[in-house]
Amino acid sequence: MEPFAPNTIMLPSTIESVRLRKLQLVGVLCGFGAGAWLGAAEAPTKLVKLGVSPLVVSLLMVVGVFLARWSLPALIRGTGQMRADIRQAPHLIVWGILAGCLWAVANTLTIFAIRDIGLSIAFPLWNINSLLGIFWGYLLFNELRDAGKLRWLTVLGGALLMFTGATLLAIASSAQSPAEHPMRGILAALGAGVLWGTMYVPYRKAYLTGMNPLSFIAFFTIGELGMMLTLALIYGGGPDALFHQLELAKPVLFWLMLGGFVWVIGDLFQQYAAKYIGISRGIPLSNTNQLWGLLWGILVFGELRGLSPSLYAQVIGGSLLMAAGAGAIALSSVTGKEHARWKQAADREGQRYKVDANYVQAAFSGRAPINDASNPSSQRSPQSSRSWLDYLLVIAATTIFITLALLARAPSMALNWPALIELTAAMLIFLLACAVALWRVTRFN
Amino acid sequence: MPDEHFAEKSVGVWTLVLTDVHFWVPATVLLAGLAVLHWIR
Repeated sequence: MEPFAPNTIMLPSTIESVRLRKLQLVGVLCGFGAGAWLGAAEAPTKLVKLGVSPLVVSLLMVVGVFLARWSLPALIRGTGQMRADIRQAPHLIVWGILAGCLWAVANTLTIFAIRDIGLSIAFPLWNINSLLGIFWGYLLFNELRDAGKLRWLTVLGGALLMFTGATLLAIASSAQSPAEHPMRGILAALGAGVLWGTMYVPYRKAYLTGMNPLSFIAFFTIGELGMMLTLALIYGGGPDALFHQLELAKPVLFWLMLGGFVWVIGDLFQQYAAKYIGISRGIPLSNTNQLWGLLWGILVFGELRGLSPSLYAQVIGGSLLMAAGAGAIALSSVTGKEHARWKQAADREGQRYKVDANYVQAAFSGRAPINDASNPSSQRSPQSSRSWLDYLLVIAATTIFITLALLARAPSMALNWPALIELTAAMLIFLLACAVALWRVTRFN
Repeated sequence: MPDEHFAEKSVGVWTLVLTDVHFWVPATVLLAGLAVLHWIR
């Protein structure tokens, strides 16, 4: 790690405690919103019953992700703002692409892990990502430093509670899965957990330096799509075999890409959570996605019907443990002392990469950069910088989705429509609440 | 010349990234992940 001299701090030592509290509340809300949307992202893929290779399923979801990740930022902020972010911190393009590559390899490993050892063992193993996130947050970015024993206890204890709850849920939800090639599967699941846990290093790096999540995800997706396409070509048997699989998947393209679109919204909230409450708290909160995935499975798709009472007890117990763990982490607010340590890490990044201190400080407190650094309360309203390119991106993505929806085949499976509508309403409430909170407190800055 | 500035800037950015210890943490993990994937597939 780079040595840090405390007497070279460039950033103002504090932001107002009221603002700090507001940013943390926004971060916690985004963490829970991320869980709801990431959990729902798997729902459209459950509609896919064709014999399409898992690699192709993953690739098509990533294509949906790519479309959403380039059109949503264009709609919300405009690509002009993205260019401004790159001018300030060009090195973050490399970090964004690296994070995308990590995600793609991890996601592919999970497919092999589920195949070899089943979801019940694989899921808790790759859920170690939150514990690893806490470790990297502490080691590299000063998170939880000077936080006090109580906060250490709540964050670490909460993460362990969630890990235990996740284990119970996973065992209950797929206890019947056969375990083939156990060592290979365990290695794949652990590998996915390590890759996902480490993926948050670039996230935190970007947000400490001031990058806007809407800009970061655009570069993330280049690494993600590039790596996923490479893996699908290498392990899927070459371009001809891949094309054949895509032809087979034509009727379900829409559902897979819809899954990717839903995932992007969840990931966007996850990025804001990482930005405002750090990775040590943001990742465990996002991991509540397992609870939401289970709700979709049980209520909408009728999974776990007719199981033994002990398995239902495991589901209820696991859910309560996960909720308790998430609650403990959500209540573990960042103290002024800990926040000062975050600032030291931000300052170190700013100095190393020669990023304008005003830009870093503004982003750190969720505000637009201002010219007058002596007056931090004079928040500048973001100017709309949407160009024809932004409108073109939005129109192109919308057209692709509408075309695929027209080609899509309606699922021929029994769905509990009232439950589907209720869960969708809950997701939309989260979306609205997070968007309003982000807009009011940060104007998406 | 703008192109020369761009090249200089790119080299500068890459130098900063590649000499940053933080970069080698995810980069090494990525390479290890690719090796595991290649082995288990």
